[in-house]
Amino acid sequence: MSAIEVRDLRKKYVTHRGTFRRTRTENVALGGIDLTIQPGELFGLLGPNGAGKTTTVKILTTLLLPDSGSASVLGLDVVRQTSAVRRRIGFVFGGERGLYWRLSGLDNLRYFADLYGIPPDVSRRRIADLLEKLGLAGRERDKVEQYSRGMKQRLHLARGLLNDPEVLFLDEPTIGLDPVGARELRTLIRGLADAGKTIFLTTHYMFEADAICDRIAVIKKGSIVAQGTPASIKALVDEVGVVEFEAVGVPDERLQALRKLGGVSSVSVAEDELSQRITVRCARPADVMTQLGIIFEGVELRRINSRDPTLEDAYVQLIGDES
Amino acid sequence: MAAFYVSMRLRFVTGFAYLSFLIFPVIVAAIGLFVLDHPGTTATQWTYGVLGGGLVGYWGVTYIDAGNGIQLERWNGTLEQVFAVPTPLWVIVLGKALGGLVWGMLSFIPTIALGYIGFHALVPNVDAGHFAVSFSVLTFSFLAVALSLSPVFAMWRWAFSMVNGFEFGTYVFCGLMFPITVLPGWGQVIAAMLAPTWAVRALYASTTSEGPHDYAAWWALSIALSVVYIVASLFLYRFVDRRARVTGQLALV
Repeated sequence: MSAIEVRDLRKKYVTHRGTFRRTRTENVALGGIDLTIQPGELFGLLGPNGAGKTTTVKILTTLLLPDSGSASVLGLDVVRQTSAVRRRIGFVFGGERGLYWRLSGLDNLRYFADLYGIPPDVSRRRIADLLEKLGLAGRERDKVEQYSRGMKQRLHLARGLLNDPEVLFLDEPTIGLDPVGARELRTLIRGLADAGKTIFLTTHYMFEADAICDRIAVIKKGSIVAQGTPASIKALVDEVGVVEFEAVGVPDERLQALRKLGGVSSVSVAEDELSQRITVRCARPADVMTQLGIIFEGVELRRINSRDPTLEDAYVQLIGDES
Repeated sequence: MAAFYVSMRLRFVTGFAYLSFLIFPVIVAAIGLFVLDHPGTTATQWTYGVLGGGLVGYWGVTYIDAGNGIQLERWNGTLEQVFAVPTPLWVIVLGKALGGLVWGMLSFIPTIALGYIGFHALVPNVDAGHFAVSFSVLTFSFLAVALSLSPVFAMWRWAFSMVNGFEFGTYVFCGLMFPITVLPGWGQVIAAMLAPTWAVRALYASTTSEGPHDYAAWWALSIALSVVYIVASLFLYRFVDRRARVTGQLALV
């Protein structure tokens, strides 16, 4: 039996604008997705903002009803067997909200343990164990408003693990964390998967998915565009090479000329205070490097290099990024 | 139990809470007692001053905790987390309401103290047995009203914008601070449909020997109306559950 099974899942949001003459707008969040996740897998759902990641998680955690299609967790239908699903899953949406700030971390955990119907003696032991494992021991009696961002995220995780769920849903768990905190959290997450929990993770950090996920799906505008192991997704862009360089003050028309070169699939530009970092994904890196001097005549170019594609490059290829 | 405890704790750590259970009832009681402080005021009228402030606080705290139960979770950003637990939402709101009731009972302490110390106002003819039963029926009716208002406020923003109207409306139409006999005819019709009205009537009746007292009828009416509200609220909670899951607005303030 799969841990999570999704078939042709669809969801659209309807919004209304105006007071007297109301206009109705439909926004398709999921246009029919299929997923199968096996028990014990750490599965990552990648996609840009608005792709449908959170909608997928919310349907699977029973917070949203799909318009059509089916979704089951541990063989239980998320629409019709809501209570049974809720008892066996945990979820972490993270962020600054979702905790009672004026209460201590311990009070927050006790409260949710009671809401999950965990017997007091079990919850006492489990809370102590979770506080220890997640590095919150000694701070549990402090109010949550005194916690750092990383501590709040770990408290969220502790709350999500209170009922010892078989399936854990994590919606962008490392967003907003500093690099050290994020790495620590990823290590914890990987440890949970190694201990046998099924984990469904959403993220838009490619390196994160590459580092810890067993399998990945890439979602774009409500549709799955690729699915497989990180290696198999990278292989989708095996024929793509990457040329990167820095430049100062590159006019748009030069970038357009670069985009029109034969074999160039995408050009992305990252601006910082002093320069632009330009990444060119192309079939023939050597040809592109030869043309750079012609296209960017008069423009200072630095640190030109060519490398093999990463998961991020595959992601950009699949999602499409011409910023 | 957890929701009860959290409700109590959140009030205890919030300075604003003292406004609703302590300061506001005392102000209301003081105004009432000053108005009544003239020769010729009867013991029955003094009772409205002494108990009225406490009832205002009792209702106010219960109403805020339970009536705003769902909306407060939304503002706090915890509504999704609370929604997705196995415990039904109405049970959680019930726990909050019970916490509010216990906290709200404290309102009687300062208001009765003010009445006695400041105005030498007493409630000399209390029939303890009928008073206790009437108070219990009143508590049940407050709980029923608050439970049924909570999903209304959560689902319809226009209703929430009238939250103070509902709170103060209860003071007037349920006779918390003055008998509903002073209301116009249409007001008394509204009052008769409210469960707390009959319990408040029985409560005040138990403090005076004047007039016929039909406790059984008043208690029965209050309990029956309360049960109707509770049954209606269970349907409303299901509606809230379904609508929230269709629109996906749990996380939206």
